[in-house]
Amino acid sequence: MTDLPHARNDVPPPIPPGTPPILQLQGICKYFPGVIANQDVSLDIAPGEIHALLGENGAGKSTLMNVVTGIYQPDGGEIILDGYGQVFAAPQDAIRAGIGMVHQHFKLVPAFTVAENIHLGWRDTPFLASSKVLEARTRALSERFGFSVRPDAIVADLSAGEQQRVEILRVLARQARLLILDEPTAVLTPAETRDLFRALRAFRAQGNAVILISHKLDEVIDISDRISILRAGRNVGTYRTADCTAAGLATTMVGREIVRRDLRARAPGATPIAPTPVLSLRGATCRDPRGVETLRDVTLDLHGGEILGIAGVAGNGQRELTQVLTGMMPLSAGEILLDGTPAPLADPAAFARAGIGHIPEDRLRSGLAPALDITDNMALREYDRPPIGRHGLYDRTAANHLAQTIVEAAEVRVPDLATPIRNLSGGNQQRLVARREIRIASRVLVAAYPSRGLDIGAIATVLRYLTELRDQGVAVVLVSEDLEELLNVADRIGVLFHGRLMATIDAATADMETIGLLMGGRSAHNGTPHGGSIPDGPTQDGGQA
Amino acid sequence: MAGSLQRQPTVTPARRLAWRAGAVVTALAITTLFLALSGRDPRLLADLVVRSTVGSRFGLEDLALFLTPLLLTGAAVTVTGRIGVWNIGAEGQFYAGAIGATAIGLFLPGPAWLVLPLMAASGIACGMGWILVPALARAYAGVNEIITTLLLNFVAGLLTTYLAVGPWHDRVTGALASTGRLPVRIPEIWGVVHWGFPIALVIVLALAWLTTRTRWGYQITIGGANEQAARYAGIPVRARILGVMLLSGGLAALAGVFEVAGTVHRLQGGLANNFGYFGIVVAVLARGSCLNVLPAALLMAFILNAGIVLQTQQLTGSAVLAITGLVLFMIAIADELAHYQPVTVRPATVAPVTVGKEARP
Repeated sequence: MTDLPHARNDVPPPIPPGTPPILQLQGICKYFPGVIANQDVSLDIAPGEIHALLGENGAGKSTLMNVVTGIYQPDGGEIILDGYGQVFAAPQDAIRAGIGMVHQHFKLVPAFTVAENIHLGWRDTPFLASSKVLEARTRALSERFGFSVRPDAIVADLSAGEQQRVEILRVLARQARLLILDEPTAVLTPAETRDLFRALRAFRAQGNAVILISHKLDEVIDISDRISILRAGRNVGTYRTADCTAAGLATTMVGREIVRRDLRARAPGATPIAPTPVLSLRGATCRDPRGVETLRDVTLDLHGGEILGIAGVAGNGQRELTQVLTGMMPLSAGEILLDGTPAPLADPAAFARAGIGHIPEDRLRSGLAPALDITDNMALREYDRPPIGRHGLYDRTAANHLAQTIVEAAEVRVPDLATPIRNLSGGNQQRLVARREIRIASRVLVAAYPSRGLDIGAIATVLRYLTELRDQGVAVVLVSEDLEELLNVADRIGVLFHGRLMATIDAATADMETIGLLMGGRSAHNGTPHGGSIPDGPTQDGGQA
Repeated sequence: MAGSLQRQPTVTPARRLAWRAGAVVTALAITTLFLALSGRDPRLLADLVVRSTVGSRFGLEDLALFLTPLLLTGAAVTVTGRIGVWNIGAEGQFYAGAIGATAIGLFLPGPAWLVLPLMAASGIACGMGWILVPALARAYAGVNEIITTLLLNFVAGLLTTYLAVGPWHDRVTGALASTGRLPVRIPEIWGVVHWGFPIALVIVLALAWLTTRTRWGYQITIGGANEQAARYAGIPVRARILGVMLLSGGLAALAGVFEVAGTVHRLQGGLANNFGYFGIVVAVLARGSCLNVLPAALLMAFILNAGIVLQTQQLTGSAVLAITGLVLFMIAIADELAHYQPVTVRPATVAPVTVGKEARP
């Protein structure tokens, strides 16, 4: 590090010249057995800036932040805080120094209230703390920092956005001056994202700093002041956001040009769209245990050789729709037709045998057994059919063969098949799950948020999988919250709102605005609220789990 | 050069075994130290323990008699562990099995070749019955099985004592301590060691095969590792939990059958001798693998046998529990330490990338 940009008048608030950066990293190195996670990373974070950290999966962002927050000790390099060298022996040291991190996976106690979570393990917590005192303190904190929370609510009952506010408040309460957010918007609805950004800007205005790890380029350009890009563990450059374009950033990030092709175009020799539907819903309705309708009277047809996109704000029935289509959830009313005949009772194994694959929304929680090895996880869909399952047996050799095939098809490098699958990165897990499901998806593939949390390269790979499958004549359902992705890939787009399929529109002629209106519950033509007859819609967040 | 101690996600079996052997040696060393501190001659005691356990025919026979129930209760707890369920009630199911076998043995006269299988069947059925309610509650209502199975142990233990000194008490001697001697017994094969021992061995080996090489075993492994993923794959998790728990109850009960029909020959209070609880210890040592139940049960049997020897030398019976605890404690530490390896990484000799420049991408 030689020339430090001291005067920064492009970011609010004006910082007097000569103010040292809040945090300065010099030549940070961190090694794991056989892996260089960080190599000679230098970085400076000025007071009053939002600094975005970009990089593909496995570029070393999380490791670097774990070094900054004292979870790992660097194998080389220096951490300088306000101009003074620091050694963090433990996370507590970093917290004391004013560095707070909000992880992608929240570290809250679900059974505790918001107030209890805020005060857990905090030195300022009064010795004799009644819940009333804690809640009053929490309310005061919430007003001071502008993050509205309900102090007496149980964390398990909160939506992801609300839980994140609790996490951030928890960090801010401990006098953080540097806030690190790991993929903060991955779990948020667009409205929640706007609220978060507003609060971050207010935090910056007080002379504090934010490090934002994200994959979403548009968001990064929207919120950040400067951007640093990590590639293969090294900092390949720090740029002023005002000078950056999304395309330029993407190129720098992956180190190669991204080819954007119209994914709707069929490859020569592709199977045309089948005239008769392979899977259909007729008036499909689901109720949750409280009796609230989570899916209302949905009628749709899936044809082989096409991709049906499902758009909507998260929590508007997407989960129910995918589970109904894959036999995981029974219908309260209506019917599901497979090749025109009513499908059997909700039985995921029977659906899988019928050639319906499913890339689930939360792969670690419902698509994989994290503690088991790659072989056992890859056999999950084919353990009951030859060559693995014969005469009630489980043939390990055949399962290893299958796992090897899937690993090769997914182009994932693994140390060996006996590795627990939780040790793989999220992107690699996703590729393996996608490949496993594609193998059995001879007729239908239901993919729920397959690109969530992936970097650009991995997203392109997964989308390529889907289009290849479509070209082979399989019906693909792609549930996504990324409208651009849907418009690029899908042939038709259905929009869900409050469990109702508002409309199914042709993707080639669709525009963002129409879809946006439908997602907000307005029909495309006259803009009147469509959901007006619904007395009390389901919660819009993930709270209806 | 940078060197540090790092946690590896996986441990090779050989490495784990080495650490565990070290743990057992350490535990024995600590035991020796305390025996020496309390004024005993550890060398003399060690010599005695070895001679009267593995060093003599009587010792080996006793070892096999301890091993038989431990294999079965250890397997019982291990199989439920594979689907993520803890059967803490092996002690109670052991008693239930003994009661079921005794009922047939005492009141159904007949040739041994007929009565013995009936005793086993009746005992196993009683053990399964004993775990049926906790199993149904766990599978279909999510009721915590640890509490329910544990509490039923006391019921079973008291029921056994009641039967032994009450309605079924020994009419021949009139002593209110146990039932009369059973008219049939499991034939011995080697000294006092009866056929229950080889049968238990075969059962454990069969379970090891069943849990790793069959579709049923795979379904259980998935169900235990992630119930949601199992549902996603269409595995009937509830039915599997119910099945595994019933199997577990049957295994523990069979241990009770063997104990009453092969070793003790009469039903009496305290018959289970904590074998059900030691089964939990065996299962913890076995780490979910039925094959590992063999060495784990052997170690446990050795400790129990050594405890008897030590008691003849005026050591308190609690010493066995203390040694067991110490061994478990050391093994738990060793299992964790086995993950750590010193790692040396040579930083790659790559020219440092220039950073911090405000450039246009």
